[in-house]
Amino acid sequence: MADNNVSDVNADGMSVEDRKRRRFLTGMTAGFGAIGAGVAVVPFVMSMAPSERAKNAGAPVQFDFSKLQEGQMVKVEWRGKPVVLLQRTSEMMAGLEQIEGNLADAGSASSSQPVYAQNNKRSDAARPELLVMEGVCTHLGCSPVEKLALGPDPEMGDDSQGGFFCPCHGSKFDLAGRVYKNVPATTNMAIPPYRFEGLVIHIGDDEGRIT
Amino acid sequence: MKKLSLLVVALVSAAVIGSSAFAAGGHGAVVDQVHMNMSDKASLQNGAKIFVNYCLSCHSAQYSRYNRVAKDLDIPLWQLKENLMFTTEKEGDLMKTTMPAENAKAWFGVAPPDLSLVARVRSPDWIYTYLRAFYIDESSPSGWNNSLFENVAMPHAMYELQGVQKIVGKVDADSHGAIDAHASSDAVGDHKVVGDTIFELSHPGKLTPVEFDKSMTDLTTFLSYMAEPAQLQRKTIGVYTIAFLIILLILCILLKKEYWRDVH
Amino acid sequence: MAIHRHDNHKSANAVMEWVDKRFPATKVWNEHLAEYMAAKNFNFWYFFGSLAILMLVLQLATGIFLTMHYKPDAELAFASVEYIMRDVPFGWLVRYLHSTGASMFFVVVYLHMFRGVIYGSHREPRELVWLIGCVIFVALMAEAFMGYLLPWGNMSYWGAQVILSLFDVIPYVGPALTEWIRGDFVISDATLNRFFAFHVILLPLILVALVFLHLVALHQVGSNNPDGIEIYDHVDEDGKPLDGIAFFPYIVVKDLIGVAGFLIIYLGNVFFWPDGGGVLLEKDNFAPANSLQTPPDIVPLWYFTPFYSILRASTTSLLFALEIITGLIVLWLWIRAKVSIKAKIGFTLLAIGVFLGLLFGSGKAWGVILMAAAIVCFFLLPWLDRSPVYSIRYRSLPFKIALVLFLAAFFILGYLGMNSPTPGRTLLAQICTVAYFAFFALMPWFTSIGKTKPEPSRVVYEAH
Repeated sequence: MADNNVSDVNADGMSVEDRKRRRFLTGMTAGFGAIGAGVAVVPFVMSMAPSERAKNAGAPVQFDFSKLQEGQMVKVEWRGKPVVLLQRTSEMMAGLEQIEGNLADAGSASSSQPVYAQNNKRSDAARPELLVMEGVCTHLGCSPVEKLALGPDPEMGDDSQGGFFCPCHGSKFDLAGRVYKNVPATTNMAIPPYRFEGLVIHIGDDEGRIT
Repeated sequence: MKKLSLLVVALVSAAVIGSSAFAAGGHGAVVDQVHMNMSDKASLQNGAKIFVNYCLSCHSAQYSRYNRVAKDLDIPLWQLKENLMFTTEKEGDLMKTTMPAENAKAWFGVAPPDLSLVARVRSPDWIYTYLRAFYIDESSPSGWNNSLFENVAMPHAMYELQGVQKIVGKVDADSHGAIDAHASSDAVGDHKVVGDTIFELSHPGKLTPVEFDKSMTDLTTFLSYMAEPAQLQRKTIGVYTIAFLIILLILCILLKKEYWRDVH
Repeated sequence: MAIHRHDNHKSANAVMEWVDKRFPATKVWNEHLAEYMAAKNFNFWYFFGSLAILMLVLQLATGIFLTMHYKPDAELAFASVEYIMRDVPFGWLVRYLHSTGASMFFVVVYLHMFRGVIYGSHREPRELVWLIGCVIFVALMAEAFMGYLLPWGNMSYWGAQVILSLFDVIPYVGPALTEWIRGDFVISDATLNRFFAFHVILLPLILVALVFLHLVALHQVGSNNPDGIEIYDHVDEDGKPLDGIAFFPYIVVKDLIGVAGFLIIYLGNVFFWPDGGGVLLEKDNFAPANSLQTPPDIVPLWYFTPFYSILRASTTSLLFALEIITGLIVLWLWIRAKVSIKAKIGFTLLAIGVFLGLLFGSGKAWGVILMAAAIVCFFLLPWLDRSPVYSIRYRSLPFKIALVLFLAAFFILGYLGMNSPTPGRTLLAQICTVAYFAFFALMPWFTSIGKTKPEPSRVVYEAH
């Protein structure tokens, strides 16, 4: 309402000045109260975040992979999730290239992994044959079954070079965790941060490295 | 009406002050006052070091985490791992003792209590007095006794720091203040008053009595911190909260005055 | 610009119209806020009603967040509270808000009740408001008592042990009843688990329902005021009371001052003195429950201590004193009181019954009865109070003296209940117990004597 075309005193006996002051004070108090309420909500919201206990339980885990044979796979628990450690053979590595045409995100451009694992092998260049991957389907969080044999497979298809098959909704991934085209999942399985210390791998902790 | 309100306020405050003063007084044991400074990080760090070296081998602090202590006390992580932790432990682990509870019970007769909350169950003054009140006593199974906690099962864990003291006598209530002056004396053979008891140092330890008292102040400060780690942030947040509320109160008063102009 | 705003208004009106046809939103808003009339002379005593609602909401909110982390299991409960205090982000704040909040709730409720007594808010036609309020008070005590077991500290444990043992005195079924309530032969995991269910589900539901009824009853009869006179006696041509103002916005903006001021005290306590020197959080409760070791003195939290003192004061000598007092009352009734012969006989028979009970009953049983009676007395207040005026401003001197004596007795009982008994303290508690009951028993008498001041016809209010 434009104030200058209203008479000085209003119907309920309030002048324009009074009205302005009242509106100002109401606004100030409401604004301040809203800020206070907003800040008061913070501790309640924060209290639902992972606690120190959860953080400690989710702390990095160590695994000695010196006994891991070629073609062998183990699962290690990190933050309650299965982390797949797969020592891939040279046939497996070769197979990764053959099926690239069938994959949805072969270069891992839209998938989640540390920079040092964003390559066609999805592994650290220091040990390219070792796949370290969260065994969690990116569709709805089931744990895919490994299909380590190369060649035709009833679930993976005739041209399979091995991979992972999710029993929940039929998503297919190759042996680098890359997702096939035309399945429910659309991104590759995630790679956790990791680093090597001799023959021990630290999963969940890469000390912030990018190479 | 005003008079009645005043009377009510007076009665409430008298009851509250009276009862809280009584509650703070405890059960009448004579304890020395400890002068803690929660913002003195060096004191807290020293207390943590003593705690880990001398207490944690038998007592646990099962609700406290190493990394929280390190963060709150400004101890760098590498230092925490090297000096305060066993190699098998993770930095976020709870501070549990390495001694199995059954062994402890077999050795001492009672399992050593967990110390996470001891400063809230007792009081800082009590702990400060207790830690300094061990004396040699051939008649007790451990060879030690404590003038504040008679026949306690715990031996004097820190005798190598304090040395060995023996009991000389009790202070009667009237002269307590007078003898207290000797508390700061450093010489062997001098009398020292702890709580209501007079001690004499028969064998010196690694620390002088004054240094030992300072170390026990640090340890008490650490135990008080550990009983409520949140206290370090609590007061800071409190100051901002109250400042905000005072502004809000002023605004509310102005707003009420504004609206109540309508009321005649 | 102007047109635009007008359009907004219009569409908002259309939405409200749509809603109002299906749900009485505007009607409720008007009846209970915008057009609910309250006297304009409300003073600070009138803050405590809205503050009690605020505390209820805050306790519900903090309670819900505590429930997310707390474990109602005897093996885990104590550790889970420390987990909240240390490991949960801001858990310490939520817990302190809840533990200090419980005490603050009682502070507010006690002051709210006292306001009712001094301004006659319990009197006709507001008896039901008062009665529902008394039920809320009892429910709140049950809520607090059960909540206090949950931290599973040693004082939690022994406090529950002592209070539940009170049921033992009920003839024949007492011990069996106690076992049934505990679900075990001692306070145990079963007790903790059921108290948790009552504390977080049953009693909060009951409390919210009762508060709703309290407000419905209040809005039926209208709020009292510090002059204790009816504002609807003087109305304008629209039927609005001349001394009334709309609850919204006038009382609301006034209550906001109360809220801000109260939060300063409440949060000041939370941030700077959360254990209240051992009064709000007791030292012994920082040690886990131990069924083999009783704390040196078991004391309930401060809000129970006046009643706890009455329980403890009940020894043979108190019963003897009560027998004499009963006799004296009957004597006075026959000699001096101007009541009908029927009432005299009726009361005498009642007194003989009480006399025999006191003579043959045990001190323990009577302690429980007296403690319960101390609470029941509040329910009877609307009918015990016979004063022709409502507000303390116009009451007679005898009432004021009696009230001050009662307050003194109440506070001394509260203080004594927080401390270990000695013979001297027990005697003092017994004297105060007699004074406590005398206040209620003699109220019909001292409210009907003495010279009251004339009530004004309109409320006393000066615009500032």
